[in-house]
Parts: sequence; structure tokens; C-alpha cells
Amino acid sequence: MRTTKILIFGWTAVLLAGFSSCSNGVRRDPGSIYMPDMAYSRAVETYSDVKYLNDQGIHYDATPVAGTVKRGGIAVFPLSKDQGTDTTNYVASKQVANPYAQLDPKDFLEAARLYRVNCAICHGEKLDGNGPIYNGGNGPYPIAPKNLIADPVVSKMPEGQMMYSVTYGKNLMGSYASQMSTRQRWMVIHYVKTMQSGGKPAAAPAVTDTTKAK
Amino acid sequence: MWILCQYPPLNLHPVFRVLFLITIRFLNGMNQPKSSLRRSLSVYLVLISLFFGKNLIAQDGKALFQTNCASCHAINKKLTGPALADLEARGPWADRKKLYAWIRNPAAFAKTDEYSANLLKEYSPVLMTGFASLTDQEIDAIVDYIKKPAPAPEAKTAGAPAEPAKDNSFLFGILALVLAIVALILLQINSNLKKLSDVKEGVETPDPIPFFKNKAYIATVIILLFLVGGYFTIQGAIGLGRQTNYQPEQPIYYSHKVHAGINQVNCLYCHGGAMEGKHANIPSVNVCMNCHMAINEYKGPELVREDGSKVNGTAEIQKLYKYAGWDPATNKYTGEGKPIEWVKIHNLPDHVYFNHSQHTKAGGVQCQTCHGPIQEMGEVYQFSNLSMGWCINCHRETSVKFKDNGFYSIYEKFHNDIKNGKMDSVTVEKIGGTECQKCHY
Repeated sequence: MRTTKILIFGWTAVLLAGFSSCSNGVRRDPGSIYMPDMAYSRAVETYSDVKYLNDQGIHYDATPVAGTVKRGGIAVFPLSKDQGTDTTNYVASKQVANPYAQLDPKDFLEAARLYRVNCAICHGEKLDGNGPIYNGGNGPYPIAPKNLIADPVVSKMPEGQMMYSVTYGKNLMGSYASQMSTRQRWMVIHYVKTMQSGGKPAAAPAVTDTTKAK
Repeated sequence: MWILCQYPPLNLHPVFRVLFLITIRFLNGMNQPKSSLRRSLSVYLVLISLFFGKNLIAQDGKALFQTNCASCHAINKKLTGPALADLEARGPWADRKKLYAWIRNPAAFAKTDEYSANLLKEYSPVLMTGFASLTDQEIDAIVDYIKKPAPAPEAKTAGAPAEPAKDNSFLFGILALVLAIVALILLQINSNLKKLSDVKEGVETPDPIPFFKNKAYIATVIILLFLVGGYFTIQGAIGLGRQTNYQPEQPIYYSHKVHAGINQVNCLYCHGGAMEGKHANIPSVNVCMNCHMAINEYKGPELVREDGSKVNGTAEIQKLYKYAGWDPATNKYTGEGKPIEWVKIHNLPDHVYFNHSQHTKAGGVQCQTCHGPIQEMGEVYQFSNLSMGWCINCHRETSVKFKDNGFYSIYEKFHNDIKNGKMDSVTVEKIGGTECQKCHY
């Protein structure tokens, strides 16, 4: 009689402690799923681990062949990156013309959006080299990004040379070839050139930036 | 007053001395004719402007540095060009004349000076731009600005961090248990006393039935077990395969709060693929290095993991350098990088098709609608449960941006209905957003 009582009290205590401990914790484990054969892809998906292919002797390389043009894309930038201290192609890039010398208002808005997403973080929405990451020297970025309007080096730079810098990077600026397609890079350069010459977009930039962090 | 005029404090700065004298003359002049009063007032103003003018130039050092030098040089960090701190202790730069010559025309000066020729070699192919238009005073102002010690980081005013709210449920549980035991003991005592009094009064009582044989007890326990067990079984079955709040530890402590929140990096800067196709890219390491080539230390607010342990932001950036194969000492890639194996958080089963661009570009949905307050997350967790009910519910309730949207131009009937005022908005469901084959095929 007495032992039964003690047993029941003991178990109640253990159960209560158990429930209270699992109520709030960090969920580091994804848990289990019903039907693995329907949940996991048999095809090689983006970002899936392909190391096992190498073990089977299958060569898999996700890198496209150099010079590949994607469907619907335009020809890649014709000059390759200078090696070491050579500046031949950087100088030669001055001669490359922008295939998007004219943009219709819709594309111009798209170019403005691309500028705001990819460039404004450093060079500023007003192209004044004072993006949120520099913020007049108070941001985390230690040096001043180029002022795209007031700095004569950039305001007089031919579009081809800008394209070279955006494609391969220049000084502390990295390459943006992985973030923007060839067409998008030319469009952004057209936008920067237009803004440098004081040009205004054809329509008010009413494009909604759907993904801006608030 | 006269004595003061004759013996102004001698240890004052000359400008102060002159100001002092003029002030006294001005005060004296109060009693004098107007013209002389005006004259001394104007002299006073000129002197004041001169005095503060000197201050303005000193302040200008920062502005001059930022417009002319800061795109390649930092004070304490080697970047495109060398760090400028302790400039005068190196090479020939203690001699201001040499410094002027170098800044105005680096290429020409390097031909006459070995130290600067080596500098050009070290930082090749970047050649420092000449600043022929800078005057001696301006260069002095810049050097003065560089020499000034950096302002000490703001003292932490917050004091001790706020105590995390304690979870009291365990204490309450123990308390409830103790009270229950006390209640049971009291009941026992009560029944024992009753028994004793019954025996005393000679009332016959039947032998008590032990409670584990008492039918009422057993029935109550079984019903309770059925309800509680059933609840947890059903919850567990629904939750199986769902990963709400899944928050894995990543190979690098990357804080969306610091990047997208505090520093306002656009979501699409790294996840540009969300507008282009099925996947929102996981950025490759070169995207990180766009900024982190220059940003090699973390100075923001303290970072804390979900389990409460502290994170050293600078050490996490060093981890990134290891993955990228970047040598921060020489500012060059070593070519020995390896990919960062981020842990995927949002896992949809293979039998569901989901496309990001369909939602962001065509639908104009914000990232936060599905991913939650991502700009406030130190470690990202799965905000929505990604269940089918959740998808369908949103498709039923959300109106699409129907007007002026090229993606929906073929729905002529709806366009006409909107024009005629028969309907005011089109939900996703109306354009087929709840059909099975849209997502399962």
C-alpha cells in the first residue's frame, strides 16, 4: 500500500518535470518525415551534395564552360581579366561600347532597381558614395566608396571600362558577375551614366521594391 | 580695467590675448562716441572669425581626408593603399616638403626617393593618384586629422544587460506537487480521525476499498489518459514532417539582423535569384567578400546565440576568410578556399513545386510574408510551418496585383469584370492558385 503511493507520487513528479523541460528550447533538429521516398529528390537538385558522384567515378562540375551564353542572354563581355600587374585589358576596355545605349522607361526603372539592390549599399542611392554601409565614416565599411557623381575619375570613365570594373572588380570592389547577368550589368551602367549627366528617368520611379529589408 | 589692459595674462595663446585686449577696448568703448564703438566692434568680429576660421580648417582635415584619401586609405587598416597612422614615423615623411611633393605627384617623386619607389612596387598595379590641387595647409590639416587619436568607442551606457526573463513554470510545478501532497496527507488524516471516532462510537465500518481497485478512480484515470494521450498523438502526427522553428546551427554565425537589419543590405543583394528563378540563391563566398575584403572586424552590438553563448563577430569573419582562401595579412587570395556548407532550413518535400520568382516578381510578395521578421533574426529559424493548409489559405485570401501586370493579361473576363465593377480584386485562387496540378505534378 505504502510503496504504491510512493511509486505514484514519484512518477507524477517525473512526468511533470519532463513536460516542463521540453516546453521551450531551441529546435536544432529538423525532426522526422512520413515518406522519405516522396520527400527527398532523386534528381540532383540545386545545392545538393554531389560528393557521392565523385566516389562513383562520375565527373560532375557545376561550372559552365567559359564564354557560355545563357538562353535569352547577350554576348559576354569580350575582354578577359588582366593577370597580375598587367593593365592591358583594363585600358582596352575603354573602347567597348554599351549595347544598351538606349533603354525604354520600363527597363530604365528595372536598371534603377538593380542599382538600388546591388550598388546603393556602398555608392548610395544618390550615387554620392555614401551608402548605408559607409554612412559618412560611421558605418562598418572603413573606406569611402567612390562618389559616382562628383569624382572625375568615374564621371569621365567610358562605359566599357566601368563594365570591366563591375565584371572583374577593381581595387576593393569585388566582381558583380555572379550577381548580375551581362545584360543587367550594362543596364546598371547605363543608369549610372544617365544619372551622372543629370538625366532623369522618363517616368517617376514608382516601381515597388518588394524585397527591401525594412 | 586699465591695469588689466596693461597686464593681460601672459600665458594665454596670442589670439586669446588679442581678443582679450579688444574685448576690454570694446567694453571701454561703450562710453565712447558711436563711430569708434562700431570700429572696435568690427575689428572684434573679424578677429572672432579668424579665430574660429583656424578651428574650421582643423575640422576640415576629416572632410578633406574623406573626399581625397578615404577611397584608398584608412587610418589604421591597410587597404588599397597603406594605413596612414604614424605616417611621420616612416620613410621620409617627417619632412613635410617631401610629403607635399609626393602627394602632388607620386610618380615623379618616386624617381627621386627609394622608399616611395618601393611603396609603388608593393602596391602595384595601383598607382597613387596625384593631388596637385591640395595646398600645404590642406595637407597639414589632413596629417593633423590622421594624428588625432580615434574617438574612444562609446562607453556602454546600458550597464548590465537586462536579466533574461526566468521561466518559473518548473517552480510552480514543484509548488503544485507539494500542495497536492499536503492535501492528500490532510485527507488521509481526516479519514483516519473519522475512523478513530467511528471505532470510539462503536459504529461498524466496512473494510475500505484500496483506491487502485476503486472503479470511479480507474475510470477517471483512463479517460484522462485517453484525452491527454490522444491530444499529444494527434499533435505529433500533424507535426511529423513539419519543421516550424527549426533553427540549425550554421558553420558561420551569420546574423541577418546585422546585415539586413542594422546595415540595411538589401535581401536581393545576396539572394538575387529570388527574382530570377526557383531558388533564392545562397550567396557564393565571393559575394561575402565584396564587403568583407575591407570589413575585417565586427564592432556592432554584442552577438548572442539562441542558447545564450556569446559570439565573437571578428572570429566569425576570420572563419569566412578561411573558407574564402583569403589572406588578410597580404590582402590576397591564396587559392585554397572551400565551400561553406550552410544548413538548409526551409525543406519542402520533393512532391511539392515551389518557385520564388513566381511569388516575388509576378506576385509582388515580400520576403517577410513567408520568412517572418528575417531582419531581426540573429540565427534564422523557420517562421511559417510550410504546410499545405498554410499555402492554400494564403492563396484564398491574397489578392494579386492584377492591373498593369503582364503576367495576367490573358485573363480577359476578370479584366472586364473589374472594369465593369462586378468584382474589385482577384485572389490567387481565382486564377488557379488552389488547383492540385499547380504545385503537385
